[in-house]
Amino acid sequence: MDKKILVLIPCYNEEENIVNTVERLKEQCPEVDFLVINDCSTDNSAALLQSRGYPFLDLPVNLGIGGGVQCGYLYAKRYGYDVTVQMDGDGQHDPAYLHEVVRPVLDGQCDMCIGSRFITREGFQTSFMRRVGIRFLSGLIHLLSGKRVLDVTSGFRATNASMTAYFAQHYASDYPEPEAILAASLAGFRVGEEPVVMRERQGGVSSISSFRSVYYMVKVSLALIIDRFSIHKIRGGKA
Amino acid sequence: MTPQLQFFMILGAVALLVIIFAFLKRGLMSVKYSLLWLALAVGLVIFALFPYVVYVLRDLLDIQMPVNLVFFLMFCYVLVVLLSLSIAISQLAEKCKRLTQANAILEKRVRDLEEQK
Repeated sequence: MDKKILVLIPCYNEEENIVNTVERLKEQCPEVDFLVINDCSTDNSAALLQSRGYPFLDLPVNLGIGGGVQCGYLYAKRYGYDVTVQMDGDGQHDPAYLHEVVRPVLDGQCDMCIGSRFITREGFQTSFMRRVGIRFLSGLIHLLSGKRVLDVTSGFRATNASMTAYFAQHYASDYPEPEAILAASLAGFRVGEEPVVMRERQGGVSSISSFRSVYYMVKVSLALIIDRFSIHKIRGGKA
Repeated sequence: MTPQLQFFMILGAVALLVIIFAFLKRGLMSVKYSLLWLALAVGLVIFALFPYVVYVLRDLLDIQMPVNLVFFLMFCYVLVVLLSLSIAISQLAEKCKRLTQANAILEKRVRDLEEQK
C-alpha cells in the first residue's frame, strides 16, 4: 500500500494519555504518519512531545478542537496526504481499528468514514444521557440532510484528499463533529460509517462536562439548522 | 422638547465628539469604527437644534412624548452598533484562527529544518 496516510491526534492537556496513545498507534500501524496537534496545552504536553521526538504542531493560542483539527487538515492538504484520520488523544480510540475506518475511504466507497461505536454496540457505550443527546443530533442530521449516521459525535474518522481539502477551508470551531457530518453531506460528499470498539478515556477529563452539555446541545442544534440553509452542494456525489 | 433637554443633548453630542476625537488621535479607535459613533453625535445635534424633526417623527410613530422618541431611536441605534461589533468580533476571531494555524504549520517547518542541520 503506497497511499500516504496521516493520523491527526488533537491534544489538549493530555500528558497522561498522549504517550500511550502514540505508542499504541506506532505499534499497531507502523506504516502511517501521525501528527499530534498540541492546542496550547497548559500542562507538560508540549515538552513531552518534544522530548519524545513526536511530530507535532504547536498552536500558539488555544483554538479549541475545531480550529486545532482544521490546522491538521491544512497540514495534510499541504503535504499531499491521500487519507487523513482524526483520532482522539485520550486513548478512547483504538488504533487496531484504524484500518477499518480507512479502508472504505481508500476503496473509494465514501469520502469520509466515521468509526461508530453504535453499530455493533460493543465496548464503551458512554452514559445514558449522552446517548440520548447523540441520538437527538443523529435524528436532526437525518432530518436536515437525509443522511443517517449513528455515532455523530465520534471523533474517529477518515477523510480522503478532497474531503480534507474541504475541511481545511470550512470547519466548525467549537464542537465540530456533528456539524462536519452535516456539512459534508450537504456539500455532496459521501459519508460512511464503520463499526469500531471504543474504550473509556484512560485519564484526564473530557472536553464536554455535564455542566456544559445543555449549551453544547443548543449550540450544535442551532449550528446544524443554520448549516442547512448556508451550505450548498459543490460535488455531484449522492449524499 | 424642553430647552434643558435640548441643552443636554448638545452637551452630550459635543462630549461624544470630543471623546471620539481623543480616541482617534491616540490611535485607540480606527476611523472605520468611529464613523458609526460620529453619526450618532451628528444625529443628536440635529435633534437638539431642530426639534421640528422630532415632532414630525413623533406624529408619524404616534408616540406621546418627544423625548421617548429620542430614547427609542437611540436604543435602536445602539442595537445596530452592537450587532456590527458582534460581526466585527466574529471576523476577527476567524482571522486570528487562520493566523494561528498558519503560524503553527510554519513553526513545525522551522523546527524540522533546524533539526536537519
